[in-house]
Amino acid sequence: MSELLLMLVDDAVFAGIAAFGFSLLFNVPRQALLACVLFAASAHAVRTLLLHANVPIEWASFIAATLLGLATVPWSRKVVIPRPVVTVAAVIPMIPGVYAYKAMTGLMTLHHQGYSVELQQQVLENGLLTIFILIGLSFGLAIAPVLVYRNKPIV
Amino acid sequence: MSPKCNDNMTNSERCTSQHSTNKHGLSHKIISHEEQAAITRVIAHTGQLLQAYNAESRLIEQTTERLGMAFGLDSVEIALTSKAFILTSRSNDHCVTTTRTMKAHGIDMGIVCEVQRICILAEKQIYDVEQVKQRLDNLAVPKYNSVIVACFVALSCACFSHLFGGDSVVFIATWLTSFISMRVRQWLILLHHNLLTVFFITAFTATFIGSFASAFDWGNKPELIMVTSVLQLVPGFPLINAVSDMVKGHVTIGMARWMTATLLTLASTLGIVLAVQLAQLGGWL
Repeated sequence: MSELLLMLVDDAVFAGIAAFGFSLLFNVPRQALLACVLFAASAHAVRTLLLHANVPIEWASFIAATLLGLATVPWSRKVVIPRPVVTVAAVIPMIPGVYAYKAMTGLMTLHHQGYSVELQQQVLENGLLTIFILIGLSFGLAIAPVLVYRNKPIV
Repeated sequence: MSPKCNDNMTNSERCTSQHSTNKHGLSHKIISHEEQAAITRVIAHTGQLLQAYNAESRLIEQTTERLGMAFGLDSVEIALTSKAFILTSRSNDHCVTTTRTMKAHGIDMGIVCEVQRICILAEKQIYDVEQVKQRLDNLAVPKYNSVIVACFVALSCACFSHLFGGDSVVFIATWLTSFISMRVRQWLILLHHNLLTVFFITAFTATFIGSFASAFDWGNKPELIMVTSVLQLVPGFPLINAVSDMVKGHVTIGMARWMTATLLTLASTLGIVLAVQLAQLGGWL
């Protein structure tokens, strides 16, 4: 139990730092930086916990992003900053970058070395995983404006 | 006459006019043609800024609409494409339409926040058209120091290597690799290179430096250095924006953004593949 807790804390801390770097890259205003880190850390920890409980990664990403999206609503109203400023930076650690690159390099190797079933399988698996995780993340973030605040602006 | 009573209005029109009448209780003042043109120019500038700095389409739509309502227009409608946007403002059945081309400026959430803040101040009737125009013209949003940004982006990549199970040697090597390639990226952007070129060269640099670590077998998983130092190039922002645009009905611009993100990934992958082949390490998979 304590091992799991330790793993989650480690996960949250490193995901938080990762999100911090990207929020600087996106020039997120100073008053929103801490929120970025905290939201990213908790969302990533939630996803890791779900993965630990054998939830498939797409669903885990979707649930984590949904919770993140809903949690940013009260924050965004309080500080009057549009939600995407924080949500996108916070979601960056969960973006399936490695899978995307693997799908692309696989595609190039497929062309270069000729067709093989294993290579095709790798390309398809990585590509589909990339697409589904991305869709899970964005749908999750869109839940609050699409379902709760239908035609009203949040901020 | 209130536009609220008109049954033929579309949902969004009804929604926006309710928004204006309920929230601000605006009486319908008469806006002259010149005034309407001036207001439209200011709103178009707002939309242009938001689009150029990669705001989500829904945000662009809402902000321009709210600004128009705040200035007493009947409605503001926009059509977004990947390279330009068309905006029509309507006041007393008189329309002004304008098109603005969009020059991509990269991602800057500071500007998006600032524009949104100006819009809200205008909505609360604190700013008038002239003040909004001046604020937008003299928009000065501080940027973070580029060395600090490079340090922390490199730290992000190093954190990814830790999350994928790398040890401290891998962590430090990833940080260094990433830092150097990030500085290269910033330098190329400063020289106003095409984004695809920037991604290609940056990915090449990162992978090439990272491949030395693999060759010398540093740390527990040396291949992680190569893999994670290019993660700074993952176009997460366009990808997330693309899907959320499509979810909220902006399918064409969503597709355009998805394609942009795919091209950027392709450019980085080409850089990776070239570096790997030069380093003669065989496949990256």
